[in-house]
Amino acid sequence: MALRTETVKSKIIKIYELDDYEKLIIGIKVAACMLTESHQVVDEASVLKRLNALTLDGPSDGNCCSCCGVGPFESRAQQTAHYKHHWHTHNLKRKLFGKQPLSLGQFNSRQEDSSVSGSESDEEDTSKNPASDLFAAATRHCKAFFTNPKGQVFCIYRCVLHQRKEELSTDGDGTAWVERVQRLALPGFQRWAVLMVSGGHFAGAIFSGGVVVLHKTMHSYVTRRGQGQAQGTRDQHGSAPRSSGASLRRYNQAQFLKHVQDIIASWSEDLIGCSLVLYRAVGSVNQAAIFGKSSPLNRDDLKVRQLPFPTRKPTYKEVQRVHETVASIEVYDTMELFQKALIASTAKTTTKTSSDTTISSTKKTNKASPHKNIDRAKSRERAPRELPTQLISSEDEGPCYIDSETPVGWIKTLSEQSNNRIITNSRKDLLNDCNIGNDASTESDRENKLEKGDNKEQVKKKKKKKEEKPIVSVKKVPEKIPANVKKIWKLISGSELNSLGTIFESWTEGELESACNTQDPTDGNTALHKAAIAEKPEMITQILIAGGNPCIRNNLLQTPYAASPHHETRIAFRMFQAQHPDKYNYAKSQIPGPITPELLEQERERKAEQKRVKRQRDKEKQLEKIKTNKFLQLTDNEKVKAKESRCFLCGSQLPKKPFEYDAYRFCCVRCLQNHRNIRPLHMSA
Amino acid sequence: MAVRVQFENNNEVGVFSKLTNAYCLVAIGGSENFYSVFEAELAETIPVVHVSIGGCRIIGRMSVANKNGLLVPSSTTDTELQHIRNSLPDNVKVQRVEERLSALGNVIACNDYVALVHPDLDRDTEEILADTLNVEVFRQTVAGNVLVGSYAALSNRGGLVHPKTTIQDQDELSSLLQVPLVAGTVNRGSEVVAAGMVVNDWCAFCGLDTTSTEISVIESVFKINDGKPTAINSTMRASLIDSMS
Repeated sequence: MALRTETVKSKIIKIYELDDYEKLIIGIKVAACMLTESHQVVDEASVLKRLNALTLDGPSDGNCCSCCGVGPFESRAQQTAHYKHHWHTHNLKRKLFGKQPLSLGQFNSRQEDSSVSGSESDEEDTSKNPASDLFAAATRHCKAFFTNPKGQVFCIYRCVLHQRKEELSTDGDGTAWVERVQRLALPGFQRWAVLMVSGGHFAGAIFSGGVVVLHKTMHSYVTRRGQGQAQGTRDQHGSAPRSSGASLRRYNQAQFLKHVQDIIASWSEDLIGCSLVLYRAVGSVNQAAIFGKSSPLNRDDLKVRQLPFPTRKPTYKEVQRVHETVASIEVYDTMELFQKALIASTAKTTTKTSSDTTISSTKKTNKASPHKNIDRAKSRERAPRELPTQLISSEDEGPCYIDSETPVGWIKTLSEQSNNRIITNSRKDLLNDCNIGNDASTESDRENKLEKGDNKEQVKKKKKKKEEKPIVSVKKVPEKIPANVKKIWKLISGSELNSLGTIFESWTEGELESACNTQDPTDGNTALHKAAIAEKPEMITQILIAGGNPCIRNNLLQTPYAASPHHETRIAFRMFQAQHPDKYNYAKSQIPGPITPELLEQERERKAEQKRVKRQRDKEKQLEKIKTNKFLQLTDNEKVKAKESRCFLCGSQLPKKPFEYDAYRFCCVRCLQNHRNIRPLHMSA
Repeated sequence: MAVRVQFENNNEVGVFSKLTNAYCLVAIGGSENFYSVFEAELAETIPVVHVSIGGCRIIGRMSVANKNGLLVPSSTTDTELQHIRNSLPDNVKVQRVEERLSALGNVIACNDYVALVHPDLDRDTEEILADTLNVEVFRQTVAGNVLVGSYAALSNRGGLVHPKTTIQDQDELSSLLQVPLVAGTVNRGSEVVAAGMVVNDWCAFCGLDTTSTEISVIESVFKINDGKPTAINSTMRASLIDSMS
């Protein structure tokens, strides 16, 4: 904050106040921050001299590492070893970031602290290469900086000194710059023109030594605010609006253009006398107004220059303000003050919109580039980024189908997540309030229900057993389970087949339905689930008729259909759907669709047919194999003379046009090649 | 002999070609002018091959090569790799590398014996580089720039580096590479020397803008004014002299 207050401490001197200006520029020099080291021009003679020196003295004087401050090396091996050392790489990176190199001892102690990235922030190195920073800031700044023998530093807008396309050399001592500054004090260089055109407003003035000589403003209705911005370009694309407002605007625009061109043409003598013409005209229409036909100005003229900062609506007042701003020179009494101000102003560029820190122009490209000061030639530090957290939680994930194939582990983690409140509500609903967490009693219950369970079920059981070994199994008797429900479950797990029917008959319908749909609190299975897992199709049909809902999911999120991989059981569900298409809402039961006995029969026939065809094919293959073997057992002579010709090498059948040489025939090129490899040509000949 | 050449009105010939002592790669261009200049100079001695890498023409910046091998970035397609393998001499190892700094030509400068690499280059890549190109690898910078491949053009006889390299750095680098180095420019003052020219032990190609001073610097530092190594003045020379005397 202290920096900011100090930025204000600059004197303003106007260029047209000649006395002050001349006093200021006595013995000026270009500020050191603007200058680059001039590199000597290489020519053949100097190269030859250097090459000679290199070859005569040998590379002995370069036989050290300036980066790490080591050397001279005694041997080549020592040298290469040093350059391959991590220490060297580390110091190289430190040098790139403008830090001091570490000695070997320092490096080793650092390495023990495991911080060898070469980019850690040390307190002693916080000011990283201020000189290059300052140069980067200075060359991109819209002002040029000078010093005089009194130690004062002053800033002049570059647009006053040179055009953007004109490059003044920063090498050496910058005499070109000094010359330009001194020229401003000469008589005749005080006459400036400022022209601004924007949005139907024109303002122009010619100043001589800070006094207005000529000025003119005008305004015309050329933009229709409600219609968006660029109506002029739309007119050119053929789809010009035909409304009266639009045609009024078009007429006005044409008139405006003509008027501005007239004004500029009438000023032509005065403009030619100006040493500097500053303009602001964005877009082709506005530029046409200034540089159009019969204009005395030429865009490529070196005295015609763009304003380097944004301006407000063109008015007479604004033109005067612009002139004042451009003509003012900021004077700082000491270098320190100036440097602070410069760095503070470049840091604030994004927020400040006033005239002193604005469009920065890069020297190399001569184009305004709003980019931050990034030196792309240097390696940058990698920002530490966290790995993306993986949350299986999204509201629109849609229904989640869980089949018997779904791994139990996944479901477990899901339910654990739900316990830990990682999963969102929608996902929790899917879990059906299951609580696999307390499945201490599940084990025993499941075991007697899964007697005939297939492999997968067994795997599940094993898993469960493993996980629950440390838990002391406490047998919890489930509460609030009616006796009749228990009875059904017992019957399902029993071995009798048609026992359910007799019981069902004795109950009322409501009772029956609720009994069928009661879920076992340990695993969430209904009677239907139990019947499906026990693989009893008849019982399934009975329960379904009695009112057992096939859409209820158990704790593993399986519907009864999905709970059993048994084919007959699944067919039973589908047959029931065909017979009673409206009884339940099958959409959520995961039953793939109804099936009738006829369809089932067709399916069966189709499968039988496929099996038959396959068997026949196998037989043919077997026969072919026997024949091939027989052929291969023949001697070479017999093979050639054999009645049924086959591939000489592998004995398979030949294609229509076999590959052959001499008397040998082959099924493919590979066989032929292999044969030739075994028996080279000179042997066969 | 240093030859001036342009790739479709572009002077950065080092971007569109790669020259080694055993082969030369040239980008597939709209016209054959560029290719035919190389062919006219080199076709008697080494194969000149049309190549693209990952569908791009900037092969010089994407790949790194010497007479022993060629490294291409992971963007190279299988077809391109196969084409390169088929066209190059059999003893040249071609290898594709997975490297974050995929413009290998910009981050690696090498001749047939030594390579300078970007300080951040992957250790695995460094190993592959050493194995494939048969070079000693050193992590270095050229005039404070990490893009050593862009700012240094090397051959077995000399090297041209960024014009702002200090004499001290030049000495160090040349003692490391064991070839004489000179700071200089190409293409009328361009400091990206490797992008502006390609060079091998007897021939150099640089952009059309290169001034005659620059050319003469290049010729003297790379010692290419004494003609190409034909069989007559290398292997047959002794016997010829014997038989004629």
